[in-house]
Amino acid sequence: MTRKGWSILILIISVVVVAFGIFVSQYNKVISMNEAVKAQWAQVETQLKRRFDLIPNLVETVKGYAKHEKGIFEHLADARKAYFQARSIAEKARAAGELEGALSRLLLLQERYPELKANESFLKLQDSLEGTENRISVERKRYNDRVRELNTYIKSFFGRFFASWAGVGPAEYFKVPEAQREVPKVKF
Amino acid sequence: MRYVYKFIVIFLAVAWPGFLWAEDVPAHYVEDRAGVISPNVETALNGYLQELEQKTGVQMIILTIDSTNGQPIEDYALDKAMKWGLGQKGKDNGLLMVVAVKDRKYRIEVGYGLEPILPDSYCGTVARRHMVPYFRHGDYSNGIYSATMVLIDRVAKAYNVQLSGMPKIRPMQNSRSQASSIIPFVLFILLVSLLLTPHSRGLMGMFLLGSLLGGSWGGGYGSNDGFGSFGGGGFGAFGGGGGGTFGGGGVTGGW
Repeated sequence: MTRKGWSILILIISVVVVAFGIFVSQYNKVISMNEAVKAQWAQVETQLKRRFDLIPNLVETVKGYAKHEKGIFEHLADARKAYFQARSIAEKARAAGELEGALSRLLLLQERYPELKANESFLKLQDSLEGTENRISVERKRYNDRVRELNTYIKSFFGRFFASWAGVGPAEYFKVPEAQREVPKVKF
Repeated sequence: MRYVYKFIVIFLAVAWPGFLWAEDVPAHYVEDRAGVISPNVETALNGYLQELEQKTGVQMIILTIDSTNGQPIEDYALDKAMKWGLGQKGKDNGLLMVVAVKDRKYRIEVGYGLEPILPDSYCGTVARRHMVPYFRHGDYSNGIYSATMVLIDRVAKAYNVQLSGMPKIRPMQNSRSQASSIIPFVLFILLVSLLLTPHSRGLMGMFLLGSLLGGSWGGGYGSNDGFGSFGGGGFGAFGGGGGGTFGGGGVTGGW
């Protein structure tokens, strides 16, 4: 081979190596972004589950003071059932929103039953619940951030190609219905 | 060449402090930006919080501000806690207490790693019993002192460490009622001893009575003994966050 032939060969090889490097790193990037979305969704679900675990105790405590508020307890039970039947993220988000509404109505009962406000175990449950609501909103925001990163990448010029090659599709946002975004904060 | 050195020196002198300033990192464990904490309490808390970090790695910062300027205090506290990276990386054992004085709101932001030791319900109880009663009287110093000490105590116990000179902290109402139930008794004893002793001792009795009354009404909690042992320059300086993360655990409340 001539000198020129060698240099062309080396050039081709180095281009292939560099292209392969870019290819692998972009492929890995898509995969790790997708994993980050999944991991963050697990965090959201952990917090949602934590909220469900609090409900039986809260309902028991409130029932002691407000037995005949059946409507609210039924609403809570329905929302809980709906969440566990939900499959897609959108359905889960809707059910979680329903539950949030029912819970805030439950917490508002302390306005009508002032003895509740003096009950330490009710106050503690309320702290746990508010803490959980806040955790949910934090993890939800982080989830949506991860989804945004992934989806933006997938829509980009090269991202589209790498994503389809890695078999990664766009992820679904955890949308909060506008009406339920404001959880009534109860002063005590 | 000389100009280059000169330029570098001037650049560093001008830019470096400005750079630090812009970073907004806490210099001490107690960041009293609203100016509501008394120097005594600030020194004492800085001492305890520093010792706590040395012995457990837990980074606890107390921040007072005037207002969050309309931002929800949950977001404000989380932003600051994450930005400062309170707690050790991986252990996430940080805590940030924010008191927004003009908003009349507080938030205790608990790092992931401290959540089992300081669950929301516990923090809520501490805030209701130890902060709110003082805050309602405008006494931020004692409210913050009392609540912080209870939190420190709980963390120290969970880590099985002993902090030097930890006072016993009681909620405000309890200590008041205890103090007032003891005072008539002490008064009676002192009066009797005043009447039954010669002149010189009587004066001593009066002095004792005066100081006792002053002590129990002024403080509300018997803990000032811890204050004297701290002081000195650079003490209680916060060395910087360790990269801990937060997940929105903790409590919010108002007064």
